[in-house]
Amino acid sequence: MKIYIIISLVLTMGYCAQAEVNPGQPINPENPFYKYDYEDCDFCGCGSTGGGMGYGTVGNENFVGLRYIYQSYKSRDGIFNNSPWVDEHFNTLQLWAKLPLTEKISLTALVPYQFHNREFEDGQTQNISGLGDVSLLAFYTLVKPKMDGMYANQQTKYKHSLEVGAGLKLPVGAYDRANNEGSVNPSFQVGTGSWDYIAALNYSVGYKNWGLGVMSTYTLKTENKKEYHFGDQFTYGVNLSKVYNTLKVDRIIPFVGLSGEVYQENESFGLSVPKTAGSVLFGRLGTEVSIKKISAGVNFMLPVTQNLNDGGVEARFRLGLHLNYTL
Amino acid sequence: MKFLQKTQFLFLILSLILASCSSDDDAAQSLDGENDLVIEFDNSFNGDDLLLGTSTYVNGNNETLTINRFNYIVSNFILIDAEGNEYVYPKDDSYFVVSEEEKMTEVTLKNIPAGEYVSMRFGVGVDQEKYLQGAAGQGDFLQVAEATNMMWSWQAGYKFLNFEGTFTSPEVATATDFKIHMGSHGSSLDNYKEVSVNLPTAALVSDALSPVVHFAVDANEVLDGNTKILLSEKAVVMVDEVKSPQIATNTTGMFRVDHVHNGEHGDH
Repeated sequence: MKIYIIISLVLTMGYCAQAEVNPGQPINPENPFYKYDYEDCDFCGCGSTGGGMGYGTVGNENFVGLRYIYQSYKSRDGIFNNSPWVDEHFNTLQLWAKLPLTEKISLTALVPYQFHNREFEDGQTQNISGLGDVSLLAFYTLVKPKMDGMYANQQTKYKHSLEVGAGLKLPVGAYDRANNEGSVNPSFQVGTGSWDYIAALNYSVGYKNWGLGVMSTYTLKTENKKEYHFGDQFTYGVNLSKVYNTLKVDRIIPFVGLSGEVYQENESFGLSVPKTAGSVLFGRLGTEVSIKKISAGVNFMLPVTQNLNDGGVEARFRLGLHLNYTL
Repeated sequence: MKFLQKTQFLFLILSLILASCSSDDDAAQSLDGENDLVIEFDNSFNGDDLLLGTSTYVNGNNETLTINRFNYIVSNFILIDAEGNEYVYPKDDSYFVVSEEEKMTEVTLKNIPAGEYVSMRFGVGVDQEKYLQGAAGQGDFLQVAEATNMMWSWQAGYKFLNFEGTFTSPEVATATDFKIHMGSHGSSLDNYKEVSVNLPTAALVSDALSPVVHFAVDANEVLDGNTKILLSEKAVVMVDEVKSPQIATNTTGMFRVDHVHNGEHGDH
C-alpha cells in the first residue's frame, strides 16, 4: 500500500512543479467550469464507487475511465475498551462512464470490482472479492453556463451549473450476512445485496480559472433478501479547484475540498442495529492532468472528524487514482 | 418543450423515491416453530476485557487486582416477549456454570418457542427449592459444579460466585491472595438472587432464526458495586453473614446485555 502513497505524492508534486512553469495566463482561455459528478461513497466496502471519490473528471463532460480506490480502516473486534483492533483494507477497481443521452441528459454508470481484506489480531486474515454493486444514474442539467461570446454583453463573470440526478444501485455484489455479525465493521461486504435509490444534486460555479463545486447525494437503501437493511446515506462535498494550462500539458487542475458522509442506523430483520449509525468528514487534496483526450487524477482523503459505529470503526485514509478518456 | 422535459424528469425522480418508500417495517413478521437461543457471557472488568492472571485492574476502592478465577452460576431462565408473555425454561435444565478459566461462557437454551423476546430474568446461584431436592435431584449439574470449584461440600452447598486472585492496596503493599466465595451456606442463609435485564434489540426466535444474546458481565461490580467490599479489610470472604449478602446483591449488578445478534444458526 505504501507504494501507492509514494506514487501519488510524487505525482502530485510533479504536477505542482509543472504547474509552476506557467502559472498565470491560460493559453486557451476556455471556461474553467468544473463540477462534481456522482459521488456515492460508502465507508463500507460495499459502496458502488467506494470511498467518496466521486469526483468525476474535473473539467469535462463525458468520459469512460478506470478508477482505483483504496480505503484504510480499523475496526474494534470486541465490545470492550481493550478489545483488539482489526486492520481493514478496501480496494475497488472501477469502470465508470458518463455518457450523453441528449443535450441536457447524461447517463452515469459505475461498475466496481471489490477486493477487500482484513487482518485479525491473532494473525488470521479474511478476504472477500467480486463484482460489486452496479450504479446507474441519469443527470439532468437545470442550469448550464453560457459560453462567452465576442462582445462584453455576451460574457458572464460567473459560470453557474446545476444538475439533478436520480438512479439505482443494483444488488450485483455478493452480500454475506455472516460478515454483519460480531462486533467488527458491519460494512465488510462486496455489496449491500439491496436495490437502492439515489438522488443527487450538484452545483458548481466557475470564475476565471477557479471552480467551486458543491454536491450532495442521498442514497435510500432498502432491505436485502437476507433481511439486512443498510442505513440510508447522505454524502456531501465541496471542492475548490483551479485550472492551469501549460505548453506540454493541456490542463492541470489541482483541487482541495471537504467531503462528508452521514449514515443512518442499519436494520436487521426490521430491528435497528445499535452502533451502526455515524458520520465522517474528510479533507481532500488532489489533482487532475489532461493531455488531449486523456485525463489522469489522484485524490487523497484524510478524516478531519469522525464518529463511525460509536467509535468501533475508524477511517484512516483513502486514495483514489483514475484514468479517463474524454468522449 | 423544455418545461415538459423538466417536468418529466422530476416526475421520474418522484416516482423513484415514492416507489422506494414501500413499507419495510416488518419486524413483527410471523415467527413459527422453535429454535435455540444462545447466551454469551463476555466477562470484563470495568469496561476492559477480563484477562485471567495477566492483567491488573484498579477498582474504585483503590485496590489493584489480578484475577485468576471468575466463575458463577446462572439459572432459572425466563424469557419475556413483546406482549409480556413469559416462557419459563424447564427448571431441571436451567442451571449453568459460567467459567472464564474453563472457557465456559456460552449457555444454550434449547427448543425455545418462536417469538420476539424483549427481556429476560434469571437467577444468580441455586435456589433453595432446587437445593432442597437433595443431591439426587441435582442431576448432572452437581458434577459440573464440582469440576468447576463451585461446591464447598454438599452440606455447605454451592458457591454461586468463585472470584479469586491477588491484590495490593495502599494498606497492603505485597500481593496478597483474595478469595470471594459467595453462596447460600446450606439452607441457613439464602443468597440466591434474581436478575432482570432488557434486551437492547429484540431476540427473534423461529424455525429459521436462532439469536445470540451477548452479555457484558462486569466483575468489578463484585467489590465495587452497590456496597463497597474492601479486600484490605477482609481478603477471604466465604461464610460471612454481613458481607456475603452484600456481595450477592453486588453480583446482580454485573449483568448487562450489550447486544443481540439475530440470524440463522451458524451465522454467528
